[in-house]
Amino acid sequence: MNPSIRLTSRDTSFIHRFQGILGKGGLTIILMAFTLIVLVPFIWMVIMSFRNTGDILNNPFGFPQTLEFENYRKLLFDPEIGFGRYFYNSIVVSGGALLVTLILSTMGGYGFGRSRYDFKFRGWVFGLLLFALMLPPQIFFIPQFTMMSRLGLLNSYWSLILIYAATALPVSTYLMSTYFSQLPSELEDASQIDGCTHWQTFWLVMLPLARPAILTVTLMNFMNFWNELLLAITLVTDPKMRTIQAALMMFVGENGSNYAIAAASLVLSMLPTLILYLIMSDKFIEGLTAGAVKG
Amino acid sequence: MNRKVSRNQFKTRWLPILLFVGPVMLYYIGFMIYPFLATFYYSFNTIAPIKGELTVTFVGLKNYIDLLGDPIFIQSVKNTLIWSIVGPVMEILTALTLAFLIYFKVPLHRFYRTAWFTPLLVSGVIVGLVFRWIFNYEWGLLNVSLRAVGLDDWALNWLGRRDTPLMVVIFVHYWATFGYSMVLLLAGLSAVPEELLDAARVDGANRFQVILKIMIPILWPTMITVLVLSFIGKMRAFHIVWALTGGGPLHFTETVATYVQKRAFGWNTLDLGYPSAMSVLWFGVVMIGVGLINRWLKRQVEY
Repeated sequence: MNPSIRLTSRDTSFIHRFQGILGKGGLTIILMAFTLIVLVPFIWMVIMSFRNTGDILNNPFGFPQTLEFENYRKLLFDPEIGFGRYFYNSIVVSGGALLVTLILSTMGGYGFGRSRYDFKFRGWVFGLLLFALMLPPQIFFIPQFTMMSRLGLLNSYWSLILIYAATALPVSTYLMSTYFSQLPSELEDASQIDGCTHWQTFWLVMLPLARPAILTVTLMNFMNFWNELLLAITLVTDPKMRTIQAALMMFVGENGSNYAIAAASLVLSMLPTLILYLIMSDKFIEGLTAGAVKG
Repeated sequence: MNRKVSRNQFKTRWLPILLFVGPVMLYYIGFMIYPFLATFYYSFNTIAPIKGELTVTFVGLKNYIDLLGDPIFIQSVKNTLIWSIVGPVMEILTALTLAFLIYFKVPLHRFYRTAWFTPLLVSGVIVGLVFRWIFNYEWGLLNVSLRAVGLDDWALNWLGRRDTPLMVVIFVHYWATFGYSMVLLLAGLSAVPEELLDAARVDGANRFQVILKIMIPILWPTMITVLVLSFIGKMRAFHIVWALTGGGPLHFTETVATYVQKRAFGWNTLDLGYPSAMSVLWFGVVMIGVGLINRWLKRQVEY
C-alpha cells in the first residue's frame, strides 16, 4: 500500500554505461569511498569506546590493544555515573509519549480517514491539524514551557510526555488516516449489522487491521522522542530527570577529557534505535519517508 | 425537521465523529495551537519573573525594534540563511545522483542504501559530539589523517577559527541528512512507470534523454518536497549545532534556533518576550522561504 522503496528499475544497462566511462570498478571505488566517509564516524566511535583515553590521544587511529570493557562496565554499574537512570528516564518519556500518541492518532486517524465520518468542515479541521506539520518547534516551545510551569509539571516526566505527544500528533494522525482510508468498508458494514457500536467496530475490527501503520507510527515517533533535545533541556533542568540526550551533553561536558567513556556512552545511547533499524530497516525507512512523500 | 429527528441525527451522526476526532483536536489545540498563538502575544510583551511570578508587561513593537539592532541576532540570521541556501542545493545534487544510481541497480545497491541512511538514525547530539572529536585540532581524525599524509598546513583548528566553523556545521548536517533526501527521491522514482521508459527507448531516446525528459519531470514534485523539507530542516536545526559548536566560537555558528533557546532559557536575561519575537519573525521567514521555493519551482515545470 505504501510506495515500495525497494522498487528499482529492471534496466541495468545505464549502470554499465557509467562503468564504461569510469573504467571497470571505478564507480565502485568512488561509491565505496563515499560510503566510508558516511560510516567512519560510527566505526571510530565504537573503536574509541573499547580503548582508554590515554591510548586514544596517543594514537587516534589505533585499534584497541586489548578490548577494554571497563568503559561499559563503569557506565552500567558505577552508581556515581548513574547512566542507567538517564536510560530509564528516556524509556519512560518515550514510552509514555508513544502511548498517548498512539491512542489519539489511531482514533483521530480513523475518524478523519473513513468516509462514513465525513462532515461539513472536515477539510478545514484536518487542515488545521496538518498546519503544524512543517513549523519549526521554536514557534511553540516558549508558551509550552510557561504552560508546563503553570501546571507545575516542569522537571517531571509528564511535561515531556504531554508535549512530545502533541508534536507527534499531526504526522501520526495523518499517516493513520491515510491507512484507514484505504481499508475496504465491507468489514465495517458487516460488524455494524452484527450490532457492534462505532467504538467496537473501531477497536475490535478496524484497529487490528491497521497494525502495519501502527508499527510505522511507533518506529518513527520512538526514534524522534528518543533523540529529542530542545524540549528535553528546556522543560527538564533537574539533573536526575534528564533524558539520555540531555545527559550526554552534560556527561561529555563533565568528563571533557575522558573521551573513551564518553564514546561508550554515545554507543550505548544509540543502541535501541540501531537494533530496531537492523531488525526492520525497510519499515524504518518507510516510516521516515511516508509522511513526506504523500504530504 | 422537528427537534426529535435532529437530536437523533446528532446521536447517530455527530456523536461518533466527536468521539474519534474530538480528543485529538482538543489535545492538539491545547498543546500546539494555543502555544502558537501565545508566542505572537508574548512577542509584544516583556515576560519576566517579578517576585517569583511571571509578569507580563505590554511593550508594543519594542522587541521587534530591538531585534533589528541586535548584532548577535543579525549574525545568526546571516548564518542560518547561508546555510539554508547552500545546504539544500548540496543535498539535492548528491541525493539525486545517488538515487539514480540505486534506482538503476548499481552493484551493492542494497548495502549502499542501508549504509547511507544510517546517519539519520543517530541523534543530533551524537552526531555533533562525534564530529566535535573528528574536527579536534590535536587528535581529531581529520587532522591526524592530514598530518599522516604530510599535509600539516591543512590541519586547521576547524572549530576554533573565524571562517571554518560554519562550513563544518554545514558539512556535518549534510552528512547527517542527505540520506533522507535520497530515500525520498527513491520513493518518487518508484512511481515512474517502467512502460514509459521502455516506450521511450523503443523510440530511440538515449539514457540521458530518458532521465532529462521523462524521469526528471515526473520526479519534479518530489524534488520540490525534498528542497522544502531540507530548507525547513536547516531553518529549525538545533541539535547538531548545539552539540557540535554550541553556536560558538563568538557566535560564528550561531543560528536563530540556538539563539532563541539561549535568550529564552540559557542566559539569565529572564525575558520570554524577546525570544518570542525572534520566533515569530523566524516563522515569517520560513513561510516566505517555503512559498518562494514552491512558486519558483512550480513555474519551472510548466514548459
